[in-house]
Amino acid sequence: MAVSNPAEYSPKRNTSFVDWLNRHIKLIFILPSLIFVLAMMVFPIGYTVWLSFNEWNGSARQSPQGVGLSNYTNLLTADPRFWDSVLRTFLFSFGAVVAELLLGLGIALLLQGKFFGQNFIKTLILLPMVATPVAIGMAWLLMFEPTIGLLNALLRDIGIAPQPWLGSEQQALWSLVMVDVWQWTPMMALILLAGLTVLPEEPYEAARVDGASPRQRFFYLTLPLLMPTIVVATLLRSIDALKTFDIIYTMTRGGPGYATETINTYGYVQSFEYFKLGQASSLLVIFFAMVLGISLLFIQVRRRWGVQA
Amino acid sequence: MNRKSNTLGLATLMLLLCGLVAACGDTGASTTNTAPTGGAVSGTTTTAAATNAGAATTAAGTTTGTTAAAGAATTAAAAGAATTAAAAGQTGNVVAGVSKNFSGKQLRIITANHPWNEGIKKVLPQFEQASGMKITVENYFEDQLSQKLQIGLTSGSSGADVFMFRPLQEGKLFANNGWLNDLSAKAQGASEWNWSDFQDAARSTVTFDNKVYGIPIVTEREIVYYRKDLFEQAGLKAPTTLEELTEAAKKLTDPAKGQYGLVMRGQRSPAVTQFSSFLYSSGGTWTTSDGKSALGTPEALSAYKLYGDLLKNYGPQGTLNMSWPQAVAIFQQGKAAMWIDADSLYTNVLDPAKSIIADKVGYAQFPAGKAGSKPYNITSWALGMNAASGNQDAAWEFIRWATSAPVVMQLQQSGLPGARSTVWNSPDGLKGFPEEYAKVAQSSAKAGVGFDRPPVVNVGEARDIVGNPIVISIQGGDVAGAVKEADQKFNAFLDKDKNAKS
Amino acid sequence: MGGTGMSQATRPENRATELPTPDTTNRPADSRLSTGRKAGATRWDYVLLQGLRYVAIVLITIIFLLPFLWMTLSSFKTQIDITTSKNVFQFTPTTENYQNVFGQYNYLLYLVNSLVVAVGSTFLSLVLGLPAAYAIARYRVGWLGVVLLTARIVPGITFLIPWYIIFSRIGIIGSYWALILSHMLVGLPFIAWIMISFFESLPVDLEEAARVDGATAFGAFFRISLPLAVPGIITASIMSFIFSWNNFMFSLVLSGDNTKTLPIAIFNFISYSSVDWGGLMAAAVVITLPVLLLTLMVQRYVVAGLTSGATKG
Repeated sequence: MAVSNPAEYSPKRNTSFVDWLNRHIKLIFILPSLIFVLAMMVFPIGYTVWLSFNEWNGSARQSPQGVGLSNYTNLLTADPRFWDSVLRTFLFSFGAVVAELLLGLGIALLLQGKFFGQNFIKTLILLPMVATPVAIGMAWLLMFEPTIGLLNALLRDIGIAPQPWLGSEQQALWSLVMVDVWQWTPMMALILLAGLTVLPEEPYEAARVDGASPRQRFFYLTLPLLMPTIVVATLLRSIDALKTFDIIYTMTRGGPGYATETINTYGYVQSFEYFKLGQASSLLVIFFAMVLGISLLFIQVRRRWGVQA
Repeated sequence: MNRKSNTLGLATLMLLLCGLVAACGDTGASTTNTAPTGGAVSGTTTTAAATNAGAATTAAGTTTGTTAAAGAATTAAAAGAATTAAAAGQTGNVVAGVSKNFSGKQLRIITANHPWNEGIKKVLPQFEQASGMKITVENYFEDQLSQKLQIGLTSGSSGADVFMFRPLQEGKLFANNGWLNDLSAKAQGASEWNWSDFQDAARSTVTFDNKVYGIPIVTEREIVYYRKDLFEQAGLKAPTTLEELTEAAKKLTDPAKGQYGLVMRGQRSPAVTQFSSFLYSSGGTWTTSDGKSALGTPEALSAYKLYGDLLKNYGPQGTLNMSWPQAVAIFQQGKAAMWIDADSLYTNVLDPAKSIIADKVGYAQFPAGKAGSKPYNITSWALGMNAASGNQDAAWEFIRWATSAPVVMQLQQSGLPGARSTVWNSPDGLKGFPEEYAKVAQSSAKAGVGFDRPPVVNVGEARDIVGNPIVISIQGGDVAGAVKEADQKFNAFLDKDKNAKS
Repeated sequence: MGGTGMSQATRPENRATELPTPDTTNRPADSRLSTGRKAGATRWDYVLLQGLRYVAIVLITIIFLLPFLWMTLSSFKTQIDITTSKNVFQFTPTTENYQNVFGQYNYLLYLVNSLVVAVGSTFLSLVLGLPAAYAIARYRVGWLGVVLLTARIVPGITFLIPWYIIFSRIGIIGSYWALILSHMLVGLPFIAWIMISFFESLPVDLEEAARVDGATAFGAFFRISLPLAVPGIITASIMSFIFSWNNFMFSLVLSGDNTKTLPIAIFNFISYSSVDWGGLMAAAVVITLPVLLLTLMVQRYVVAGLTSGATKG
């Protein structure tokens, strides 16, 4: 992993401003984004953490009341709804992301290289993620409708019994996974496709000389070379999947019963339907910690692959 | 490949351009709806002239009808044709008595996506002209309205001067939190405007701790929509008792034909309000007089059972995820013989472009149970004034006008049930509704209960608690157990909720 | 190489400069599929495989588009025809829904708002994010990556009230700036993270060679690394644009009446007492057109730009 630092080549003879810039390129590249992100995040995070130790419903008459850790202990020990939603969140995200990764990789390999109408196809395939989650949720809601919806009409045509879809505790979560896969596989595919296009060529030349089979080339070259991109794409998609809100809230509001309530929708309910800002904040803090933990794991995995790439 | 994507790209571009042109063409029209076209300038015109000028600038249709249009106003399509002229007999012009004291003031009003918003926008230019104020109206879907208001109010901002809110859902909380201005003195002081003309139930809904926190604008009741043709074929009459309702639902259910006895909401929280009439009519209620849960009674249990059984046995598939948009769509498609929901949704079934059974719908008062027929009769929306608003008096002038008898008359004639007794009692006030509907709405109002959800501060949480047995009941689970659990949770909730009041 | 000399034939410049280019691989697409070299059979294998591949591409595209086609069909239907369970292709077309979209509401304003915010936030995210990604990849500033990622991890609800407080203090509530800044927090981490692996996968030798030839550190970044990373930049920008285009929660809370974006406006079709399904679907179709157009244009422009750029490079 010995990456040589281009800054070392920096000529040191000149003291002009441009030169100063060039010598401090690292700082200049880092600072703007760092300042921006911190400026936007420090207060909200601090505020939320502070609020998580309080009880408040936004009242103008009564300021937040300190309650110590009780919001946390309440969630972690006395609220089965929370742990159920945690489990569901992970089930939903895992199911969706794995399907999206496999399908996305397949589609990326398929779309790799020139073909007739490639720009057009690559644009069309974006459609599921462009059509605004709310509208998409409403459209799927109608398509899933067991009595008058399209899906059951299709099933009847091919002689399969109509399904309750979102109206059943067993099927609702997986119906939502289906929508998520439909919506986000294109993004996965396009990121991986972009990754494929910049893979170095030499290893393939060598493999050809050695007479490697296509399968060997895929498993021993493409996959390892693409791994950093795969990990990043999976990481970004996992974060978003864990935070999925729009389609769930539009289509089921967490129902039937609580069968599709995820941590994020529960957090929304706590803030905007129950007006329990302190409780909601503690939930958001825990949720944040969980996702951060998972992300750091991904980053570790990526570092390992990064060494090889 | 290039040519193909070229052509398609071009086609897309052209489509887009067409859209843009269309949008530009209409920008002018839509601005007349929201902006006071010249209203602020012509401050010297007399009130009568202002009315005419204002009326001329409103969207076509407002003033086209005369009294003759009243008959046609029964269809939803003609909803916009209700007329100032028709109201004239009783009330005169809609801006009589509007003060010019606040000329030049700007007010920001936040409303829901609601027919009230559309109705008020039509007469707003007249108000702007008469008062010299400038009013901007924003509208949001109710969930978003609630979220947007809550965030603005929590952070202590004075963003909106006046907003629409749901007194039964968030009224107590807003009032407790000091977000709503106390309007008691203003309401009771305006003698000509006449606070006592508002229905008793409506006034009590917006009054917390003897203070008035909002002015009711829209009322609604739970009724039974039924298919006259199917009932006739089966030799049935509109159900008057819950037993008859069950019988009719049973008779008219035929899944093989894709026909179901009835359709109602099954989603936990949305179902609570429609379940409430079942609860009251069965002799139950939410809370006892000493503020404890009343869910543990046999009456409540029987109501939960009935609601779930009806949907489970005679409802379509997938009712667990059903809120009113899906329910109404199924009824519109003729798949259900009955649909039980709020009367405010009636225009959905009357419009032939939306409903294949538009001419076959009958209305019935909520059927009687052990305790008689007790539908809810509620104020679903009210106008509130932001306590942080810097324009309190001007804001009151707007509220006073928007809830004045002439305006309410005009809105009600366009099909929007208001809260004023004189309007309901006048034949003119019922012109906007189908005759049968008007009768049912009136009789329901007399029998009705003034709330459709637990009367607490944190309504959202309460709804989830009391709604859970509905879900279990529809699934055919252990209803008694679920009700018992809900009873306990609700008691614990009520203890905390009371403290929240202080 | 497995298949043919297709790519060599079409892109000789790639061979010459050994620069990876976007949009077309240096290897033929079927290099993974064909069974190595068996003279004589290769030609037919190739044709067959290309045919199969094409069928697969078309099939997958259609599958992914079906729900969208349903939405588009619905946008030309009356409500009765949308909610019916009968044949989806049997209906009398109407343009009423589109008339409603453009007639009842000021969609042009919402469209402009959405464009301003999405373009603005994407552009600024690129300006901040590309150098950051480069620094993380080249100078191994791993912690910065984690900080940026944190912005993406924090649940959106967390920001609403605090931002509202800050933004109203500095008086930008309801302005484009409030929206652009909030959307940047979504776009910037995404762009940065996509680009990290791109910059990492670029060969360092090229830059080093340029530096030896006297290029400055900035020069190496702008003239060597950025052009090479264009496929990634395009993909990341398109995604970032879409994230902003679709953003609902931040836009809802921070926008004013004149800065409402399309996703907020689309809710005009859902009201307290009715859902206008046709209008909703028409609005959803209208919302996608600008993005499609933009994507097509960007892809075409980039392909053209790169072909000329590669020969110079």
